[in-house]
Amino acid sequence: MVDDEQERGRERWDDGLIARRAADKAADRSVEEAAAETPDEDFSPPALGGSYGGPLRARLDALHELVGLSRTRVESEALAEAGRVLDEAAARQRLSSRHTVIALAGATGSGKSTLFNALAGVPVSETGLRRPTTSAPIALSWSEGAAGLLDRLAVPSRLRRRPLAGGAGDTELQGLVLVDLPDHDSAVTAHRDQVDRVLGLVDAVIWVVDPEKYADAALHERYLRPLAGHAEVTFVVLNQIDRLGTEAADLVLDDLRRLLDEDGVALGEHGEPGATVLALSALTGEGVPELRELVARFVQERTAPERRLAADVDSAAARLRQAYVADGRPGLDERARDAFTDRLAVAVGAQAAGEAAERVWRRGAIRACGTPWLRLYRWYERMRAHGSTDPHLAAPAEDELTARQRVEQAVRIVADDASRGLPAPWAQAVREAAARGADGLPEALDELTVSLGDPAARPPRPAWWPAAVLAQAAMTLLQIFGALWLVAQIVGVVQPGLLPPVLVMLGGIIGGPLVEWACESAVKGPARRYGQEAERRLREAAAACGRARVLDPVAAELMRYREVREQYATVVGSRPSAAAARVVGGRRSGTGRLGATRAGARGR
Amino acid sequence: MVTLDERPQLIDALSALRDRVAAVRLPLPLPDAPRARQTRAELLAQLDDYLVPRLKDPDAPLLAVVGGSTGAGKSTLVNSLVGRRVSEAGVLRPTTRTPVLVCHPEDHHWFAGMRVLPQLTRVWLPQADEDHPVDEPAPEENALRVETAASLPRGLALLDAPDIDSLVVENRLLAAELICAADIWVMVTTASRYADAVPWHLLRTAKEYDATLVTVLDRVPHQVIGEVSRQYGALLDKAGLGHVPRFTIPELPESAGGGSGLLPDSAVAAFRAWLAHRAQDPAARQQAADRTASGVIDSLDTRLPELAGAVAAQYAAAVRLGGVVEAAYGEQGRRVRKELGRGAVLAGDARTRWRGYPRDSTAEELLDALAESLAALLHCAVSAAEERVRDTWRREPASEVLGPPRTGGDRETAERTGVEVRRWRRVLEELAEEEVRGVDRPSGSRASGSRGAVPEPDTVAALLAASLLGGRRARAAGERLAELLGAQSALRLRDKGGELVLSCVDRVLHAERDRRLAPLDALAVTPEPQAELIAALSVLQKEK
Repeated sequence: MVDDEQERGRERWDDGLIARRAADKAADRSVEEAAAETPDEDFSPPALGGSYGGPLRARLDALHELVGLSRTRVESEALAEAGRVLDEAAARQRLSSRHTVIALAGATGSGKSTLFNALAGVPVSETGLRRPTTSAPIALSWSEGAAGLLDRLAVPSRLRRRPLAGGAGDTELQGLVLVDLPDHDSAVTAHRDQVDRVLGLVDAVIWVVDPEKYADAALHERYLRPLAGHAEVTFVVLNQIDRLGTEAADLVLDDLRRLLDEDGVALGEHGEPGATVLALSALTGEGVPELRELVARFVQERTAPERRLAADVDSAAARLRQAYVADGRPGLDERARDAFTDRLAVAVGAQAAGEAAERVWRRGAIRACGTPWLRLYRWYERMRAHGSTDPHLAAPAEDELTARQRVEQAVRIVADDASRGLPAPWAQAVREAAARGADGLPEALDELTVSLGDPAARPPRPAWWPAAVLAQAAMTLLQIFGALWLVAQIVGVVQPGLLPPVLVMLGGIIGGPLVEWACESAVKGPARRYGQEAERRLREAAAACGRARVLDPVAAELMRYREVREQYATVVGSRPSAAAARVVGGRRSGTGRLGATRAGARGR
Repeated sequence: MVTLDERPQLIDALSALRDRVAAVRLPLPLPDAPRARQTRAELLAQLDDYLVPRLKDPDAPLLAVVGGSTGAGKSTLVNSLVGRRVSEAGVLRPTTRTPVLVCHPEDHHWFAGMRVLPQLTRVWLPQADEDHPVDEPAPEENALRVETAASLPRGLALLDAPDIDSLVVENRLLAAELICAADIWVMVTTASRYADAVPWHLLRTAKEYDATLVTVLDRVPHQVIGEVSRQYGALLDKAGLGHVPRFTIPELPESAGGGSGLLPDSAVAAFRAWLAHRAQDPAARQQAADRTASGVIDSLDTRLPELAGAVAAQYAAAVRLGGVVEAAYGEQGRRVRKELGRGAVLAGDARTRWRGYPRDSTAEELLDALAESLAALLHCAVSAAEERVRDTWRREPASEVLGPPRTGGDRETAERTGVEVRRWRRVLEELAEEEVRGVDRPSGSRASGSRGAVPEPDTVAALLAASLLGGRRARAAGERLAELLGAQSALRLRDKGGELVLSCVDRVLHAERDRRLAPLDALAVTPEPQAELIAALSVLQKEK
């Protein structure tokens, strides 16, 4: 079993296609393996997902897989965020799921601490006029067992409080851990750092705004817009409505809703999941019971950690989008492959080699079957034209038979084709794979050409050749015979009789070129076939070489990308979790509508 | 200290400086470019809207710009100072979208023209009376409302600016621009805001420019007025702004739009008296205006070098980007020469043709194959250079504006290269023809012609091309050529042909390089603006 797992682990990181297809099949078993493979990342079995519901668990698994698959391709900076989400998921999952950590955040002087105290029922957090007032987060937990969560938030034990009567009175708030944050917009920048740190760790946030500051750029641009995806775990509370008239409060609340909408924050109205917006006055207590009730419902659902993580995964996926998604359909189509093969064929000179083979073959045939007189004439012609030297110029040096620049160019073009439509890191990976394959490709093609031999060197002889040569020889013999016969008549050795020898000689004279002509036309077809065959063999050998060295690694890289892309699609969810979200939303819609009506009732 | 008597030389120096600043272009998207662009815009705003008009017309009314966070009660304050609702106040943020300038009717001519804030168009609204508040007109881009009120002292104008921390970015920019135009900076903050980061940035800027500054702590609840005021004072002290005049206005029902929307006179009396004193007492007025003006002029000493530095950085980036291209193409040029020397062109197709020549392939085919092979070599070199440029430029943020790099399979490059190579081939053929004709004429007397054969021009051209492109692999071609034409003319022919090849290679590579550099050249990033800026600044420093 151990061996099996080790081997599987090795296979998984192998680049080979088959190994990874096998890994694909084993994907459903991958949860346990993930834990087995990464003992250093402290996932306790049953590892990721853990108690989270199906869709989120699948998405976290996919994200984990994604990070693993792309660690060598995508810059670590982009993956760090995803890694952080995974770590947070694991960390949060190990801690109490009975508790919901909610932070109170807002601008200086918006009344966070006052609201905190109002919810606690006791003055826990110091309120005051001195701005900024609260300088370190203070936690308030309604039930036991939240120590781990607070350790994670790094809230020192002297700042951990219990509500009045140990919280036993507020049964509906059991499980709530409320954290009062320092301001995020004061001149003391250390406060902002604390807020940023804690906001990354809590399950939900109540943003406290006041009529004066609700439109501050610091709040909207720095927090609400980037956290728009976290709308489901966001409350926005308009505090200090005692400073406004009823009508004005209504106007401001509407304006606040409009601004949130512009920020892209989904509002939890009409039964849709989204942020809850309501108005209250922590000072007079107006609206506080409603908030209490909403928070109580929210805490009793116990889905906040999960929803927060889902939103985190969403935003991590959005940030990674650039590295995984690009418009355009990636992949090597047939045309690109064919074009690559053609270019390699040109680089090894397949066409010219084929033509040369054809011509050599034909020349050989004609030479063998031609009349001796014609051959004599041609030899003379050649001597006259090219001088006495061998017309076959000195054989060139036999290194670098392949055109290097053409191979380089072919690889470059196929790499560019393959990487078109890929996100930058993967395009780079494809180009690198192609470049690695191209290393040594020209040498391999050289060897290949040499091993195939020069088809023009020793052309084979067809079976009918001896017959043709014999016929040609017979014709020549006839000519000689006729000539001898005539000479003999002139000398007077044999009986005179002009016709028979002349006919015999004429037959030879006409028959010789006739045989040559017949051979020539008979040789055309086989010569072309021979040339084409030579071209085809060279071309196919070159194509096979190119495929093995360049196309296959490129295709493997593309396959890897496609696989990662699928994982990414799972991470994004493309809303396979939509159904689940709707279930959650449905359960939550009551809350949302309640929030909306309550807020509306307050306003009107 | 700058005195506000008319100083033509100083004004000339400032105008020259302003032109230099306006001429600065920062086209490359470098990391510090947005900041430099902002510096440039701010400088222009301060020079155009404030410094030059102020020095030209020392008698013009003082302009007090009321700035502050959203919801600090700026409009309410201006309305209360004027005693009439000139600027719309309300609970919804941001309230003021179109800035409002209020002045005494007799001062109206100072502001009606384009003397200050020339980029804002003036709009006039019908007088808003108490019960018919005028509807806010469709917020016009870059508009300034000018109102007159006899209740203001002469020689003083109030400007109600939009929020400095508005969600609407244009508002923020406009606010910064308006504050740049002020003689007196009025910073309004509130009891719940006085520790906010954004207003403090502005206060520090005011300190940096040594502007005449006054702060108003608005909307302070009655019961805590002493405490808050004390704390705010402590914060100001800590920031080195303890000397700044500070006025405190309590929170009243009117602050939030109740009643007439105007604060009672008693609440703003002290502040109004302070402003009136600045406007009417010649000494106080002189001091207030002088201080801001000289503060701005002094601040130029540090801000202009900063801008000049950004210009220099642009030039450096342009040189770097261009250098990458030059280096890549230079390297490829050297590589092509080396390959030619090695005879890399005589490979693949061309090599097979060469082996078969003259028995199995014709001169025409050999020449075709050689020309194609040369074109492939050049195209490959161009693609390699482009790839190199692309890889290097990817790390340069400034390369974004220069268009996407071309890919290896670029058809147009192949076509252009093909055209050049065909031209080379034609010239080579003409050269061969000429040479053959030259051999023809004295054929009887020449030893080389004694064999009686006049070589075909095609043959000569093919052999010449092979000997030029084949390097040592095609030594036989050179020998054959010498045999046909005689050693002397063969040598001459080869020299000429060699020049042709090299000029063809250079033409292709240079054309492609220039094509790649064209967008960069079009941006015309030069080092001159930097020197001119510094020169203009030193002229100003002499005048000061």
